[in-house]
Amino acid sequence: MLSRIFPTLGRFRFTVQIVMLVVTVYGGALLGTYMVDRFSKALPSLACSYDDMTADQCILIVTQHQLHHRIGEALSNAQHLALNVFVPTLISVGTFFALFFFLNKAFCGWVCPMGTLQELMYRLGRRLGRTLHRFAPAQVGKVRPVKWLMLLILVLGLPLLAGMGIAADDLGAPFCQVCPSRLVTTLLTADTEQIATSTASGIGFFLNAAGNALFGFSIIAALAVRQPFCRICPLLSWNAMFQKLSPMRLVKRQNDKCGKCRICQLACPMDIHEIGREHGPKAFHEDCTLCGRCAEYCPDDDVIQIRFLGLRLFGSGRDYYKQRVKQESPEGMPKHPVIWLTPIKGERHG
Amino acid sequence: MNSSVRNIHAGPMTMGHRYRLQAAILTAMWSYVPMAVCAADAPSVPAGHVHAGHGATRGAAMPWTRYPTLKVMVGGEGRQRRDVTLIPRNVVPVSVDAYASDPQAENYHRQLDYDLIEAKLNQPSAGGFFWLSAREEQADKVLVASTVYYLSERGSKNPTGMFMQQKNMLEIIPQPFPREHTRYRANENWKFLVRFSGQPLAQQNVHLITQNGSHAELVTDVKGMVSVRLPDDFGAGAQAADAGKHSHGRAAADFVLAAERVAGGKTYVTGFNSSYGPDAYAQRSLAMGLGFLLLGMMGATPLLRNRKAAHKDRSASGAVGKQEA
Repeated sequence: MLSRIFPTLGRFRFTVQIVMLVVTVYGGALLGTYMVDRFSKALPSLACSYDDMTADQCILIVTQHQLHHRIGEALSNAQHLALNVFVPTLISVGTFFALFFFLNKAFCGWVCPMGTLQELMYRLGRRLGRTLHRFAPAQVGKVRPVKWLMLLILVLGLPLLAGMGIAADDLGAPFCQVCPSRLVTTLLTADTEQIATSTASGIGFFLNAAGNALFGFSIIAALAVRQPFCRICPLLSWNAMFQKLSPMRLVKRQNDKCGKCRICQLACPMDIHEIGREHGPKAFHEDCTLCGRCAEYCPDDDVIQIRFLGLRLFGSGRDYYKQRVKQESPEGMPKHPVIWLTPIKGERHG
Repeated sequence: MNSSVRNIHAGPMTMGHRYRLQAAILTAMWSYVPMAVCAADAPSVPAGHVHAGHGATRGAAMPWTRYPTLKVMVGGEGRQRRDVTLIPRNVVPVSVDAYASDPQAENYHRQLDYDLIEAKLNQPSAGGFFWLSAREEQADKVLVASTVYYLSERGSKNPTGMFMQQKNMLEIIPQPFPREHTRYRANENWKFLVRFSGQPLAQQNVHLITQNGSHAELVTDVKGMVSVRLPDDFGAGAQAADAGKHSHGRAAADFVLAAERVAGGKTYVTGFNSSYGPDAYAQRSLAMGLGFLLLGMMGATPLLRNRKAAHKDRSASGAVGKQEA
């Protein structure tokens, strides 16, 4: 029954993404106003606290606030770094990790509302016949450090400096002010407030203007580029710090054909070229969002697998690959008018 | 429902090009940081965003209402910065009570240390919403002041059950109270339930009075609900005038909703007070926001050109160049 509803991993993931989009954008309205307090407040995806209807909040806003209001202020006041200063931050990180442990970076590839919307835009771009712009390895290498800079400066550094009184108080949550998810999730609830640029201070104006421009750029670029914002998202780097600590992981074994066909590399929405030629830990790159497309589009049996605690959840297979490419090209070009209704014969799940 | 408000004091691009553009945006952002650091005293942004000081402001000493209120003040210096102090006004209570979010918790209801001037909300075992209440009983009159405070700590529970538990005879209960990162703001509608002895009160008069000098007469509907639209009565000089340390210098003022009822020879007067901020779009520009959004979109449009078309353009321009040569 399940295999009829979800004949491919891609379709299963798409369904999860849509469900999580509803939960992260409208969950509070569906499940109760105070649901946001009851779930985790440390979600490893961009569920925005500026969205009055969200059911949970992203770990990044909590981190910024705790650095701003607790650790930074405590350091500034030269107090002892007492339990009531660090414990809340440790609890937030612990709560985040309790969730992260099970899904690892699949939070990026399966849960994040911003990731889902970029994928939907990319699908629209394929339908509209827009050319796909891929990243060459050299270009990828230039972009990859940006996500670490975003994390170090916007999520960790400036909030801490603001808490210590060195930077302006407006820099208490600077990443949130430039995060496109703040704009897209609030717009999805018909709230235009966050689009309006602050005119109260220069810092607020600059951050909001940069955030709006980044959002506009990302949403249009997503028609021709896969996951444009994900590549510089600080949550990708945040999650990468914990990537090796989760038993959910992408596993690739050595195969003679690897590095020749490189179909998995074409299928990767993050343009991780290492997946085509590396194996072992190097294949599970810090940019991987565990979307599973590389496993779906690997034409050899069990070369690429998604495993949890050593158990195979999904693995590549020749038959599966043959059916999958009939439905959609590795680069995401649909072969049928409506993907969802496309019948697939001989499908199999991991 | 009557919700009239009489305002007294109111006044062909490659990936490399694309990411060079993005890098330019980011570079501009980084270069702004030193300026930001120097601007530590710049005025803050009034956004829909209050947390540690949720519902709390540093109040002016001038009485602005005759109804009972319970003023929440947050902060102090050094280790006292997270202290929560409660000051009853227009009511002389024997005790000040706190109700935690979880009605099943051991210390769900407790009397706070109160020195007849102020009470302290000290060392709650968990964070979340607290119902705070001060009650004075005279021979023929019962005065109750209530408010809600959100403590940004772990262990928060859904407070709906706690809000709905009967605590006094005449009650005004927010439906709902703004959750963390939001607050009451001008020009927004918020609902409140008015109950007497646990039963909804239909056609009950409710008074809305704000610290900025507005007042309104409202009436509950058949379900005891009243919809309150907070007035936009922040003058030009209101910015940060009454903002507490933890509201980041954002403008804020207090309001009270009050009801009176006579029953069994006694007059019950109950006030529910909290703070509210200016309109969501105050000191924000939607036009400029849309402008920057469009700017970003335009920056990405070269990516939408198909390669074949771009190639054709390049060939055409090359041909033109040759002809000109």
